[in-house]
Amino acid sequence: MNTTMTDSISKQVYIRNELGLHARPAAQIAQEAAKFSARIKLKVGTMEADAKSVLDILSLAAGRGKSITLQAEGQDAEKAIGHLERFFLDGFGES
Amino acid sequence: MAAKILHGIPVSAGISIGRAYLLSQGHYCLAPMQSISQDLVEVETARLNQAFAQALESLQQIRKQIPREQSDHAAILDTHIMVLKDPKLRQATEHYIRDMHLNAEWALEKGVADIESSFQGIEDEYFRARVQELRLLTRRVMNQLLGNNDSIKSITSRVILIAHDLSPADTVELDVSKIMAFATAQGGRTSHVAILARTLEIPAVVGVEDLESSVSDNQFIVVDGFRGQIVIDPDETELTQYTDLKYSFEAYQKEVIRKRDLPAETRDGHRVQLHANIELFEEVSKVLDYSGDGVGLYRTEYSYLYRVELPTEQELIEEYRDLASILHPRRLVIRTLDAGGDKLGHGFEHLEEANPVLGLRAVRFCLRHQDIFKTQLRAILRASQAGNISLMFPMISGLGELREVLSVLDQTKEELAAEGLAFDAEIPVGIMIELPSAVMIADILARYVDFFSIGTNDLIQYSLGIDRTNKYVSHLYQPLHPALLRSIKRVVDAGHKAGIEVSMCGEMASDPYCLPILIGMHVDSLSLNPQSIPWIKRILRKLTMEECADLLTRILRLDSVSESNKLVRETIFKRFPDELQFHSSILEEEEE
Repeated sequence: MNTTMTDSISKQVYIRNELGLHARPAAQIAQEAAKFSARIKLKVGTMEADAKSVLDILSLAAGRGKSITLQAEGQDAEKAIGHLERFFLDGFGES
Repeated sequence: MAAKILHGIPVSAGISIGRAYLLSQGHYCLAPMQSISQDLVEVETARLNQAFAQALESLQQIRKQIPREQSDHAAILDTHIMVLKDPKLRQATEHYIRDMHLNAEWALEKGVADIESSFQGIEDEYFRARVQELRLLTRRVMNQLLGNNDSIKSITSRVILIAHDLSPADTVELDVSKIMAFATAQGGRTSHVAILARTLEIPAVVGVEDLESSVSDNQFIVVDGFRGQIVIDPDETELTQYTDLKYSFEAYQKEVIRKRDLPAETRDGHRVQLHANIELFEEVSKVLDYSGDGVGLYRTEYSYLYRVELPTEQELIEEYRDLASILHPRRLVIRTLDAGGDKLGHGFEHLEEANPVLGLRAVRFCLRHQDIFKTQLRAILRASQAGNISLMFPMISGLGELREVLSVLDQTKEELAAEGLAFDAEIPVGIMIELPSAVMIADILARYVDFFSIGTNDLIQYSLGIDRTNKYVSHLYQPLHPALLRSIKRVVDAGHKAGIEVSMCGEMASDPYCLPILIGMHVDSLSLNPQSIPWIKRILRKLTMEECADLLTRILRLDSVSESNKLVRETIFKRFPDELQFHSSILEEEEE
């Protein structure tokens, strides 16, 4: 396999917590995303944000029930997506 | 004569005389703006990165010092730390150094402004508001660039701290043993600084007009926490007066504290419960320190206001349970959420309300957002096992609303029972009487609840139709207006006729001039800020029920506020000339 070629992996998730991607989850996503070398994006409709930037995530102003596409490119892309997906699934640890 | 006297709101009693320490808060307007040559690009980039690193380091230090029970503060700081680490913010600022050849300060200013403007188009108010915090936060970076390492931490001698305002994050770093008094340009009675100063028992004046432009660093000033004045460069005579006042106040304070454990009763044995109003968990220790009979009003908004997400049921249970166990067997009255969506900042629907004060707040807000309401009710009920918790609903306007609220409470109880969760089935339920409509039907409402608590701050404003913070009409804020006295008497009598307890939890309860009148009306308990309990107790113990009843009879015969104020002032001042020089009163000072 040619290591310079990286596949882009994407996954669709929903925002389950009541307040949407407010400051705390945005900061947590950025913190989690920073653990991976992959380039990770969050896409909502036509907007996209760098998952490692809390300000970028906040500027999506994504509320509850919005569908988000997680997209990653790079060596640990698959791991990164799996990790973030779980994070979304449990509503960022908020009930 | 002093060089200048500034006026503000007195929020913590006492006199402090000393040097001013101006906390520089990295104002952007101070940033030098220069173009730089190509060969300085690397130097400025390094300066910027270092400033970010130092600001980050200081936040991480603060984060470490936060005690575990303040998890909401910690969450805010975690977010701030991630913002300072944000690659977008770095790119936005560095771009101005590398591509536009601006110096680091100017680049930071431009970078932050760019990010701010990218948020302008967002419709959701919550997300739009977050960007305002960015400027406050990047002030820390600006401070590093400007070489103002004068964080609060660098204060070495005892000073009077002058600041625009102070947030919980600012005061975490504070070495309180170095602070003699506070004066801030912003804030009100319940702002963070006010509460902190009362807890530390040091004088404080907030909302001071022209503070930052009038006081310079190291200037000699007096903070008068009785009258809400900042005296700049006092002359000999003023200095002597203030020094005398300071010493006599300290002597009086010692005397009051020495006698704090005596029972709260009149000379002829009429016992009155003296409870505390608190809004921060930490204040509970003060209730015990000042020998309060319990907490008559726990304002629960704080857990909702200063954070980015709603508190969970579990968090609230722990908060209420811990408070109840510390106070046990003393009583803890928990008031349900008394705010509107605007205060919660959780991306609630933005309502176009011309008059928010008359809008969707308190129980009205809770009935519309029953998920939030139920979470709080479940937490209060589940914490109530200790047996010393009472529940209180604010801003009830009529029977329909009360029934609705009680039905949500019953529903919540049923759900808990169905889930097999324990709670105090007999938990006393009360309401605040703070609307004129509730006053008029107090006899009806009394049949449905276990106690009343009269919230005079709002009752006065709603009855007289004034906003006391509006300087054009604040002179109309008159607790002794005959209409108010009749309202209070009506509520007390209706409550007692129905066999329920009536307390008062507004500022009037801690006003030494109003005290005899309230005692004369047979109010069962007074709820005041914890620090006032020993003072009010001292005055109470010098009164007799007979003289209180006599004053009440005389005052109820009067037709106007000015007559009532005059009568009370003369009568009470004659009785307590020493004590009253240390008490501010909410009664309007008569124009000389």
